[in-house]
Amino acid sequence: MKIVKMKRENLSSFLEAISREAELWAPVKKGVDTHAFQVVKDFSEIDLNYTRTILPPRKILVPSRFNMFQATKTEYTPDFSHVSNKIIFGIHPCDISGLLTMDKFYSYAIEDPYYLESRKKAMILGHSCWPDEHCLCKSTNTHIVEEGYDLFFTDLKDFYLVWIGSTQGDDLIRLVPDLFEGEIADQDIQRFMQWREDRDKAYSSEINFVAMADLMELRYNDPVWAKLGEACLACGSCTNVCPTCNCYNVEDRPVLGAEHSNISRCWDACTLENYSGVAGGENFREKRADRLKLWYTHKLQAYISKYGKPACVGCGRCIATCPVDINIKTVSDSLDGANPDAFWNRLSQEVTK
Amino acid sequence: MKVVGIDHLARVEGNGGIHATIDGKVVSDVKFTINEGPRLIEKLVLGRTPEEDASMSPRICAICTCSHKNAVLRALENAMDITISRKAYLLREIMHMGEFVESHSLHTFYLALPDFLGFPNAIAMASEYGFEVKIALEMKHYGNHIMKVTNGRFIHGENAVVGGFGKWPTQEELLFIKERALQFMPFVFKTVDLFCGIDYPGVPVAETQYMCCEPGDDKYGFWGDEILISTGEKYFRDDYTKVTNEFVVPHSFAKHSLYNGNAYTVGPLARIVNLGERLQGETGKMFQKYYNDSWKTNPFYHNPSRALEIMFAFERIPELVDEFLKLEDEAPRKEYTPKDGKGTGLVEAPRGLLIHHHEVTDGKVSFADIITPTAQNAADIERYGHIAAQALLDQGKGDEDIRRHLDIVVRAYDPCISCSAHMAKIRNAPENDWQLRLAEVKDQGSPVFIGIGNPSLGDDAAGIEMARAMKQQGVENVWLESEIEENDGLGTEDNGQPFILLDAVDLQETPGKVTLLPMQIVLQNSALSHKILPIVSEVLNPRQMQNAYLLGIQAGSLVEGEGISPSVLQAMERVLRQLSN
Amino acid sequence: MSDNNKLKIGIYELTGCAGDALLILDCEMELLDIFNAVDIQSFLMAKSDNIDGDLDVALVEGSVSTEREIEELKDIRKRSSIVVAFGLCATVGGIQARFSEEEWTQNLKEVYGDTEMTHTKAVHSKPIDAYINVDFYLPGCPVGKDQFLNFFTRVVQGAPPESYPVPVCVTCKYNENDCLLNKGIPCLGPLTADGCGSVCPNHDVPCYGCWGPAEGANLTSEYHLLQEKGFDIEAIKKRMSNYSGSKFQEFFEQFKNKESK
Repeated sequence: MKIVKMKRENLSSFLEAISREAELWAPVKKGVDTHAFQVVKDFSEIDLNYTRTILPPRKILVPSRFNMFQATKTEYTPDFSHVSNKIIFGIHPCDISGLLTMDKFYSYAIEDPYYLESRKKAMILGHSCWPDEHCLCKSTNTHIVEEGYDLFFTDLKDFYLVWIGSTQGDDLIRLVPDLFEGEIADQDIQRFMQWREDRDKAYSSEINFVAMADLMELRYNDPVWAKLGEACLACGSCTNVCPTCNCYNVEDRPVLGAEHSNISRCWDACTLENYSGVAGGENFREKRADRLKLWYTHKLQAYISKYGKPACVGCGRCIATCPVDINIKTVSDSLDGANPDAFWNRLSQEVTK
Repeated sequence: MKVVGIDHLARVEGNGGIHATIDGKVVSDVKFTINEGPRLIEKLVLGRTPEEDASMSPRICAICTCSHKNAVLRALENAMDITISRKAYLLREIMHMGEFVESHSLHTFYLALPDFLGFPNAIAMASEYGFEVKIALEMKHYGNHIMKVTNGRFIHGENAVVGGFGKWPTQEELLFIKERALQFMPFVFKTVDLFCGIDYPGVPVAETQYMCCEPGDDKYGFWGDEILISTGEKYFRDDYTKVTNEFVVPHSFAKHSLYNGNAYTVGPLARIVNLGERLQGETGKMFQKYYNDSWKTNPFYHNPSRALEIMFAFERIPELVDEFLKLEDEAPRKEYTPKDGKGTGLVEAPRGLLIHHHEVTDGKVSFADIITPTAQNAADIERYGHIAAQALLDQGKGDEDIRRHLDIVVRAYDPCISCSAHMAKIRNAPENDWQLRLAEVKDQGSPVFIGIGNPSLGDDAAGIEMARAMKQQGVENVWLESEIEENDGLGTEDNGQPFILLDAVDLQETPGKVTLLPMQIVLQNSALSHKILPIVSEVLNPRQMQNAYLLGIQAGSLVEGEGISPSVLQAMERVLRQLSN
Repeated sequence: MSDNNKLKIGIYELTGCAGDALLILDCEMELLDIFNAVDIQSFLMAKSDNIDGDLDVALVEGSVSTEREIEELKDIRKRSSIVVAFGLCATVGGIQARFSEEEWTQNLKEVYGDTEMTHTKAVHSKPIDAYINVDFYLPGCPVGKDQFLNFFTRVVQGAPPESYPVPVCVTCKYNENDCLLNKGIPCLGPLTADGCGSVCPNHDVPCYGCWGPAEGANLTSEYHLLQEKGFDIEAIKKRMSNYSGSKFQEFFEQFKNKESK
């Protein structure tokens, strides 16, 4: 680990240099106040002053749909055409933690070559952030990362402190060494310490994740699940925006006028009705409440017993996304005995009125 | 008596047919029917918000979806006093051009051309005309691409909204559209040469009235605020009902329209006839090269007109893109608060004048009236079909030839994607056809009867004698030819009742055969019209002419001083019995 | 080449905008492959040498809106091994199917007056499964191009079509659009079957519901959510019923009963 300094005005020269090495992905403005990771050619499009992108950066490594094989009746050819050298710039600590969670998942029992190949060829250039009212990463202890990046840029207004996390990261610095300074002055360190302190104070939301695994078990039959089920729109959004969700479906897509089929892999979401559908038209989680319970138990309990920590990285996407307030914060609060003023609580009054 | 026709034309924006009733030597009737059920779109949008209306109304038609979108938006924006930005206006025009390219290339190459080159369909044509089929497919694809970029998708896009657009397309997308337009030009020239060079069938030929939007500023174009008629009149958009006079006919779920009591034509030919002289650039040169007076009287010239319009669109698209990109960026849509009002939107769909009238009350749509080009063309399709069928019959052509010709006459109008005909059937009509028709006519009101003929010329006395007999029976509103002259007209009140002329006719049938013909048809047949024309033109106004019929009995002998022959007398008895029922 | 081994396909249009049949012709770059892959026996929009014989697959577009269409549809069913409801009108009846029988009769009278149609009698618009058994449903207004090509290619190869119904929100999230519901705009994405690629929200326009109801849609929740966002009950009902044919009517009836209690 080494830390160097870079003047703010050098950023575009640096991006210019590294974008010649691989496809450069960075956050750009999408809607009025929303952002998305996109391939950038014009660096002025990059907006580092963002809180969270709509989809987490896993979409860059595992696209929502790609072909795994081309298959004929007798043989198949793996298709890795979605894999290429990529640099992901501007990724926040929570999302780096999300990728670390994915790493474990995709190599735990059976290795997933599609993810791992993609991951190997992607360089992660992290960037510091500032929390908004939905950010819970301090509670999940993912507001600072110590691994999982090649470079990490901490924005201290007129300059960056740049953490070098890998030799590949170091190689990038060496492309344009003149842009960086090895000497970090005392006042720069002061500035960094002050920034850390201010940022810690800026968090306004928290969850007690320590107790959550036990509470999930103890409250497994709590009536709150039925209330959640009543409100859930079953739209799959919470699942699709979650940085640690990884379920997928595989479809055969024959090609018109050809002898082969594409075996296509696409994201799936356990909150959708057909996720648990099986042959014969049966569905063992037909109820929305059952599906929500599965999702939350998986995130907050099963992950802990398997990987030692919850699958929530505190990014706040489910909070920003769900139109009916079903999210990690309201659900946790509710299981914790609080009674959040969430849509589903108001809806229950409405429905039973 | 038999009916020659097509039950399922390959579509009138779906499912339609055309049938000619042939009564011996005379085509007594042609009906263009829409087999699809009524959808009541004008009722479905009631109570909806203007934006929901703008989403639902274009569902009338898949191929003219952008035309409907532009028309409903123009109507709603007129109703609520919303003026869209110049940028939005230009983008809507680009979108409209996309629809013209798509629809016209589909029709000309895929639906019409196989007729003139002798193939059952375009795919079969590909073996010999592979290049044309391929490039035309690309041209159609390009038209769709424009609609996708501007309106969100090929069919039923939703990017065009009240006040402008949801989002602007990107500069790259628009520049691509411009580049492609320029690349297509060599093929566009070929297209015009090809369709202007075809030797189109010489039947049917007849004059008609042509109607289209007046684009203003002496320009060619596909929308405006006035309706322009080939006779020279112009009507402001809100006065559209004076022009179209929509009415229900019993044989179709599409309403029919008449102007001044007569059928009229809308569509590419109408625009070229009315506005062709205004064409500029290469299209203008091609117009001058190919257009001549024969286009005005033959519906097959819709096809070269389409080719000219394809060229017009390809010349216009780069200009529109350039102007769009030169303008400063601004919000794609104007925010608005719905307000009460009535508005009409006029556009030219690829197949002709499309009128949308929508009214907003308390933020909701309170009335909607939509007049589609195919509904307006229906009366002229029937008229030209009738003329064609009669002409072929006169030439001694058989049923199959008549059927095939009717098919391509209908298709010339491209009645929403191509009422291009396919499954045809010939069936025998019942012997009592005239009785069924008579019953239909009588349902429209108590008829006025006029007996005509020469009482001293054998069977020619039949009309006068029947009228006399009816008078004796006390039937009201019965006139003799001579009484009209004495009275200087009928003097009866005009309350929309039908007029039936009773006469002996010579259609070279077996004596005593009874026929009921609409007056429009009678006037086109010189054998029938010479005697009748002077009377009806004096007595009936054009509106009444639409609802006038000739009930004729085939004469046997026409010898001066002889009485009525027995077969005609029997026929007269049958007619009188029927009339008194 | 002999057409004997190819699947015999018929494409039929009942009452509708013909957009689904047109969509097939809009697959310009795939069109020759489509015509080569199967033996298209009947496709009025595209060809004139049509035959009404036995079929392997019939794609039926449009709602059933006349007595004559009922007969035609029954005949198609008799002749076909597989019948597919092709597009919104065939699957749920389309926009024209949302009137109740009573409203429809009243409105028909207002539009056409007392004129009795001579060629066929109009009937209250219904989806095709009101009259025949349907093997597969392909919703859409019109059916999406990818959706159709996937379906068609699988059927040609003798495989059943993939059916994995999800709401519009799924693709809308993939496309990283601003959630319009969260912005207080009455978007019907959560209630609507996907297949369009979330085209309206992609353009900052709310989903109008034109693919018809999504399987497992939670109407109650969206209904109350829109109410909470300040929309009045009638406006919500109208919006939700525009493209749902008769499918949401029952739901509204429940609410009517509840509200009158």
